[in-house]
Amino acid sequence: MDKLLSGRRILIVEDEMLLLMTIEDVLADLGCESVVSASTVDRAVSLVDGQVFDAAVLDMTLNGTSSRAVADALAARGVPFVIATGNRDNTWDGFRDRAVIRKPFKYDELVEIIMRLLPGRSSDG
Amino acid sequence: MPKKQDKSDEQKNAEAEVQSFKNELGPFVVAADTTRMAMVFTDARQPDNPIIFANDSFLSLTGYTREEVLGESFNFLMAHAADAEALAKIEGEFQGKSDGGSEIRYRRKDGSEFWAALFISPVRSEDGDVVQYFASFIDLTALKEEQAHSRELIDELNHRVKNTLATVQSIVWRALRTSPDAKAIQGVIEARLFALSQSHDLLNSKNWKGAGLVDLLNNALAPFVGGRAGRIVATGEDIDFAPRAALALSIAFNELATNAVKYGSLSNDAGSILIEWKIEPTAEGRRVHLHWLEKDGPPVTPPSRKGFGSRVIHGLTDQLGGTVLLDYRPSGLICTMSIPAPEGSGNG
Repeated sequence: MDKLLSGRRILIVEDEMLLLMTIEDVLADLGCESVVSASTVDRAVSLVDGQVFDAAVLDMTLNGTSSRAVADALAARGVPFVIATGNRDNTWDGFRDRAVIRKPFKYDELVEIIMRLLPGRSSDG
Repeated sequence: MPKKQDKSDEQKNAEAEVQSFKNELGPFVVAADTTRMAMVFTDARQPDNPIIFANDSFLSLTGYTREEVLGESFNFLMAHAADAEALAKIEGEFQGKSDGGSEIRYRRKDGSEFWAALFISPVRSEDGDVVQYFASFIDLTALKEEQAHSRELIDELNHRVKNTLATVQSIVWRALRTSPDAKAIQGVIEARLFALSQSHDLLNSKNWKGAGLVDLLNNALAPFVGGRAGRIVATGEDIDFAPRAALALSIAFNELATNAVKYGSLSNDAGSILIEWKIEPTAEGRRVHLHWLEKDGPPVTPPSRKGFGSRVIHGLTDQLGGTVLLDYRPSGLICTMSIPAPEGSGNG
């Protein structure tokens, strides 16, 4: 009954609606019941400031603008995240060592990356 | 840049020199003076090739006056005086080692930089000695801007292609979960791909500047109208939406229509849909209030769980900074959307 992601809170920041919903469903299949999503920088930043997340998936570009402000907010709160992008460019200065996943990506690969990002299960919540 | 010495002697010599070859060459100098290509002559017998003649085009390209230019070393205009690569290219031009010209970055008097293609030819005396150099500059600003613009377009296109592939991937992933039947899966995938493709056509027809609400509604509902023309009525002043919002709305309408055909007022012979909207001032600014009213369809029962369509509609409305209410009344679905009005809309 204990699925890979049960009890985890994951934030998805993505502006392609169908992709966003699919990621939600992929994570839900793995037992993640609290997937929270945002498709704009403002909404994502206010979610990061107001809630606790175990990990996040962050699209580098939202509605044509950089989502760097969200990366800063996540980093400030110590939330690990993977950067998703359709570009081949580098990610932002200061975030070059972060996990990156290039669109389109295998959902299994996304899950593997998220699993690696998560703090150990033994750590008491 | 090297400080120019007292104008007097050097300048006088240079002017005398120019005057003498003006006299000798007559019409050629007039041509050099008035052509639209920027040109200078330099004195090959002095160090650093000081400029002894500059035409009007050169002055308008660089923003300097003739007095400021005459007597300056040829390289005084370089944007980066110590740029070894550029210096080597210029030297190559002077040596006649380049056929096609060299691209050099220069700086105008006002500090702005520009790229120019530089061509240099020697002018020889009767003895065969190089006495002057003749240099022409082709302003590459427009070309460089165009190249940068093309690069941006290619990057943007690449970004869209990757996102579209990711969207297609999720359409397929979802379709495979809806049914074990290959035919049904094919139907679902095709319907969504066509909807995606049509909304791109609509945006493309306006160069991705956006789309009007009337057009995008007609476009989204077109696949469902067949034989039901009088049963779908849309009323409201046309409102132009930015591409992103237009795409989101178009997908939302497509989902609503799909639902109406399957379960709602387009699933029998009598039902109809009324779509009406207007822009209203609210505490959160001007908003588009849109109602999608279905009636005379089979009795409606609320779905037991949140289906794909309703998730899409909620997600898209959220993305537009709006709210949506799907009210499953027995008499027919009422969908109420409130989204921020695009800037400048509904004022005229």
